[in-house]
Amino acid sequence: MSKFRRYVIKVGGESGQGINSVGEILSKALKTAGYKVFAYREYPSLIKGGVASFQVEFSDLPINSPSANCDILVCISRYSINEYLTSINPGGKLIHSLPKMHFDKDEQKFIDENQIIVEYVSADEIAIMEGGNKIMANVVLIGLIWKLLGEDYADIEDSVLQVFGKKEKFIEGNKKSLSAGFQYKSESLLIDKFDFTKDQAWSDSYVLSGSQAFALGTLSAGVKAYYSYPMTPSSPVLTYLASVAHRKGILVKQVEDEISAVQMAMGSMFMGARAMTGTSGGGFDLMTETVSNAGIAEIPLVILLAQRHGAATGLPTWTGSSDLNLALYAGHGEFPRCVVAVSDPISAYQRIQEAFNIAEKYQLPVIVMTDKEIAESLFNIDKLPSPAPIKRGLVDREGLSSLDSGSRYEITGSGLSQRWLPGQPGPVYNANSDEHDVDGDSTESAEITKQMVEKRARKLKTMADEIPEPEVYGVAQGADISFIGWGSIKTNMVDLLQLINNDKNSFTANYLHYEYLWPFKSEALYQFVNDAKKVVVIENNATGQLGGLISREAHLAISGKLLKYDGRPFFIEELVQFVEDELGKEIII
Amino acid sequence: MSHNCSVIHNDYNSENTYTWCTNCGNYGIHGALKSALVEECIKPTDVVLCFDIGCNGNGSDKIGGYKAHTLHGRVIPFAMGAALANPNIEIIASAGDGATLGEGINHFIHAIRNDINLTFILHNNSNYGLTIGQASPTTPLGIEMNGTPGLVEIQPINVAHLALSLNPSFYARGFSGNPKQLTKLIRLGIHHKGFSLIEVLQDCPTFNEATPHNWYLDRIYDIGTLTDYNINNIEMAREATGDLSEHIATGLLYKSGLDTRYKEEIASLDHDHIDISDLLKEFI
Repeated sequence: MSKFRRYVIKVGGESGQGINSVGEILSKALKTAGYKVFAYREYPSLIKGGVASFQVEFSDLPINSPSANCDILVCISRYSINEYLTSINPGGKLIHSLPKMHFDKDEQKFIDENQIIVEYVSADEIAIMEGGNKIMANVVLIGLIWKLLGEDYADIEDSVLQVFGKKEKFIEGNKKSLSAGFQYKSESLLIDKFDFTKDQAWSDSYVLSGSQAFALGTLSAGVKAYYSYPMTPSSPVLTYLASVAHRKGILVKQVEDEISAVQMAMGSMFMGARAMTGTSGGGFDLMTETVSNAGIAEIPLVILLAQRHGAATGLPTWTGSSDLNLALYAGHGEFPRCVVAVSDPISAYQRIQEAFNIAEKYQLPVIVMTDKEIAESLFNIDKLPSPAPIKRGLVDREGLSSLDSGSRYEITGSGLSQRWLPGQPGPVYNANSDEHDVDGDSTESAEITKQMVEKRARKLKTMADEIPEPEVYGVAQGADISFIGWGSIKTNMVDLLQLINNDKNSFTANYLHYEYLWPFKSEALYQFVNDAKKVVVIENNATGQLGGLISREAHLAISGKLLKYDGRPFFIEELVQFVEDELGKEIII
Repeated sequence: MSHNCSVIHNDYNSENTYTWCTNCGNYGIHGALKSALVEECIKPTDVVLCFDIGCNGNGSDKIGGYKAHTLHGRVIPFAMGAALANPNIEIIASAGDGATLGEGINHFIHAIRNDINLTFILHNNSNYGLTIGQASPTTPLGIEMNGTPGLVEIQPINVAHLALSLNPSFYARGFSGNPKQLTKLIRLGIHHKGFSLIEVLQDCPTFNEATPHNWYLDRIYDIGTLTDYNINNIEMAREATGDLSEHIATGLLYKSGLDTRYKEEIASLDHDHIDISDLLKEFI
């Protein structure tokens, strides 16, 4: 069994075999049973075939990030066995539904050496025998898995019906298939025992993806329009918002390209409607001229940049965090912006609301980053925080009468000028992409140009006062090893720190997490680095882009680096190994 | 024009003086736009004039009203986002033939399909004026232009035929030298609920030597003079707009009998949290 106080079930198959539903059903049932769950997806960029997996992990401790290895591997395709067999922990189980399965020499050797229990289950036949159809073979396997976990039948039945129960004619087949799987007799498969304490109060907690939390955050922010062009892994936000658009009275519009999406968002924001767009790296490339446009015309703009691995098309369905420099430097010319990277569902829910307040108050583009790991993993949280107050940063109705046309881009010490909306009975102005005077009229004056560049630049300093410093996780001081990271790395780090910082270990660790990346905050960083014995910057990219930012902005060259750039997130096993190697000590779990 | 209307032409005049060439077609178009707004009694605070980049965009600060001077090729999606956000405000976008049919032709095509309620004035002077006279997607064959070695050798786009192939809801064609007719067309565009496309054949005395003012005067006619022309007949519109060299039709050339296809709009100033409590239940 997993060393890390988690139990890990991986279901492998092909794209199109219903793996996601299996994962969702198991996650919700385990949560209902009173466990903390986390689910991690791997899938190829194709619709049918390839290897896809849905890995569900549970524990009585919070889980925020994936394991590499599993305790039960359930495979419904040969390729998924090829891919995942060696990820089974010693003494673990392989359950498959492949009647003609034959292991090659290396596979058999692995099975023997690691005492893997292999069981063939004729799930297709059982499902058909029970009056169901072939696709219900997955439900048979769910029943069997549930039996092996020793859990209450009612929880899994509820979960199956919640996900599959919508179509009346399939209810009976699903129920019978589940029951047959649960009653499946096997001599070699024994019920697993684990000493996790169940928390009955946890059964009402939420299971949701980072994308869903993000989308809920946009609703709480009062976003009335979402314009987008599909691109993994930003598409789940589009999909979710489209699914609730009619109920919530919001406009969700798929448009011809990302250029149009971002311009439409800016056009709506210019009129005073909260609107946004979302994309991944390649689509964001196309949006960059508009980032610059929003910068000079001081139009609030919020863009979701959901990262995936790689340059160009890269690995479309795999993770990575290699677009920090893109977000920081996107757009020609010089203008202030805000860059923030969310780190889990609660962070996604909160940061997007803050992003709109910042965009409107400081009248500039805000780029909100996420990655596939946050966007598409399923997290288990108690609740979401209350919605943040909506701050529009607009002149109130009474203030309109005291404005003159030069108020809109007035040169001020803070860099902030007053903003009011078309349709309001104030002086009219020009939101101009050309350099302009205080009323927005075009200018080529050297003096005004210089003043305007400086005015806009001052907004960055003003904004920096409001931006929080990076936060320390784990022990405040005296850690034996200290990490610095951003984005989804927080999910890996909180899981790692949970294993290290306890009575069993004679050493400690901590982590400095950057949520807001621009304007760059360095005070907490200096303190953290000063106190640290060994510092490692950890990132899901090849060049260490946060490390580079720290070097440029804080003039700190941090030599310790842990970089991963193969499309996969960090797994708990490799982080434990890294710390053990660095410190020369074993982490006692 | 309402007798109670207090909007006057001077409300739309700016302190800034024009910077266009002598006899530029933009004077006529600007004048017609101002006349249309005044005749429709639209206050400067109730309109957003969106401008692309180019000679027409340089007029963005020489006219009253709320304005947005956007990026090259991008005025259409900006204006669509603005129009969806606040249906109470009149949205009028202007762009040249380079912006519309070169840099931003993707937006132009999908704007016709989307049919969002705004008026779009396509300034077609058959060249890139502000970058000093390069060939545009509507430059006729066999012309000498800056940036093109020899003569222009690729086929020009017929704006009307491109638009009509997309089943538009409103297509009109005017001439910068006929502000009275153009004012009427812009007013019709404002009244039409949907994407009102108004192509303006525009004089460019500096760079377009092939089709100067008198060339147009000798060839244009108003479709309204034909008694048997049906503006709801797309086939008639195709036929009428095919000739761009001898007899050039102007006026409202096509109007779909259908209502606008795109109706979803969002209100701009209402900004409460959207309640998510019912949605959260689905994650339990």
